[in-house]
Amino acid sequence: MSLTAIGAAIAAFTGIGAGIGIGLATAKATDAVARQPEADGKIMKMLVLGCALAEATAIYGLVVAVMIIFLS
Amino acid sequence: MLTVSLINIGFTIFNLLLLYLFAKKFLFGRVDAILAQRREEVDSATKAAEAATQEALNTKKEYEEKIANVDEEKEQILADIKKQGYVEYERIIGEAKKKGDKIIVEAKHNAEVENERAKEVYAAQLTDMVIDAASKIAATKHSAADDKELYDKFISEAGAKNE
Amino acid sequence: MKELLTELLMEEKTCFRIPFGDGYIDVYKSVVMTWGVMLVLFALILFLTHGFKVHNISKRQAAVETFVIWLRGVTGGMLGEEGISYADYLATVLIFIAASNMVGLLGFTPATMDLNVTIALALMSIVLVEIAGMRKKGVKKWLKGFAEPMAIVAPMNILEIGIRPLSLCMRLFGNILGATVIMELIKFMVPVILPAILSLYFDIFDGAIQAYVFVFLTSLYIKEAVE
Repeated sequence: MSLTAIGAAIAAFTGIGAGIGIGLATAKATDAVARQPEADGKIMKMLVLGCALAEATAIYGLVVAVMIIFLS
Repeated sequence: MLTVSLINIGFTIFNLLLLYLFAKKFLFGRVDAILAQRREEVDSATKAAEAATQEALNTKKEYEEKIANVDEEKEQILADIKKQGYVEYERIIGEAKKKGDKIIVEAKHNAEVENERAKEVYAAQLTDMVIDAASKIAATKHSAADDKELYDKFISEAGAKNE
Repeated sequence: MKELLTELLMEEKTCFRIPFGDGYIDVYKSVVMTWGVMLVLFALILFLTHGFKVHNISKRQAAVETFVIWLRGVTGGMLGEEGISYADYLATVLIFIAASNMVGLLGFTPATMDLNVTIALALMSIVLVEIAGMRKKGVKKWLKGFAEPMAIVAPMNILEIGIRPLSLCMRLFGNILGATVIMELIKFMVPVILPAILSLYFDIFDGAIQAYVFVFLTSLYIKEAVE
């Protein structure tokens, strides 16, 4: 059990935050569209933007895991 | 994998600037030129249209003024005619009145003359009657008192007849 | 599988070497890939914009004009009126990042998978933001702007200059790296139909979204600095 493997696995936990965040954002977005269906273009744009930004933190975890594996 | 080399970063920055300048000159520059030309054409067309509408409005105003003047003239002419009509009317009425007056005067005159003639006839009749009465009195040879009585009776009868 | 990943991630990045002085200048593969993308874009632009007329336009010209206007609307929408002169650069960056993210479809390794390219992009973005702020406000007021709204947050503001491009760079790099690794693994496992379907999401959609997010965040920072 090398520590690199454990380290990389722990670094991959950042995906949880992204999952929860994007799930909440999508729920609120569907609520907003249900409340006002004619604004769905704007809401979709904002949703996609928010998801891309929230996913970035999960990607940071991926990058750290890759760095851990391949740099030691 | 995560090697950072400044030279390549420099290369990439140079590449990006090259791409930006190229796109600005060829893509955006040409499209902008066409759009600007089109906007200019639209502007000049709008201005020409506006000038034409302005001219049309001016002409319309002119015509309206003319028409208003025509109305005024018409009114003027009508008023004149009416005035003339009134004058004629007055004149005719005046003449008629005069004629009427004259007729009345004539009629009165005629009536007076008639009256005179009737009076004369009546006087002649009266004279005839008086002559009759006188002859009657003369024919009967009455006394003076009877004559007076007869005279009175006759005159009262004549008076009653005349009244 | 381990060889696959090692081969992908640890591959030799040098494409060729130029002798310079008494050493060498390594020219990385990503730079060569950038050149390739640039050449393709040049050819495309030249082909699409030759022979423009004012009236009686061909369909190609109408399509190009619509595309340019849409592009400017996308990048200029966030910028407002003050920063509209920066919309051209952002449109170029958008096209470049989107194009170079999608060469994964053709089998090459994307240029943005190299950390140097993303660092270069992020550096240019942050320099653009600071220059926009400096040009609008003047140097003295821009320096004083670090202490807004209170003097306590001055270190945070100064750190922001470093953190923003770092996050931009890492976001783009990590997304493209993850997409490429997953595509390689899928190609290794199920080489027949699945890669085509999944590459729709990973290569095309993800590439476009990441390009748009990069440009959107840069325009957001510019607007914040110019306000």
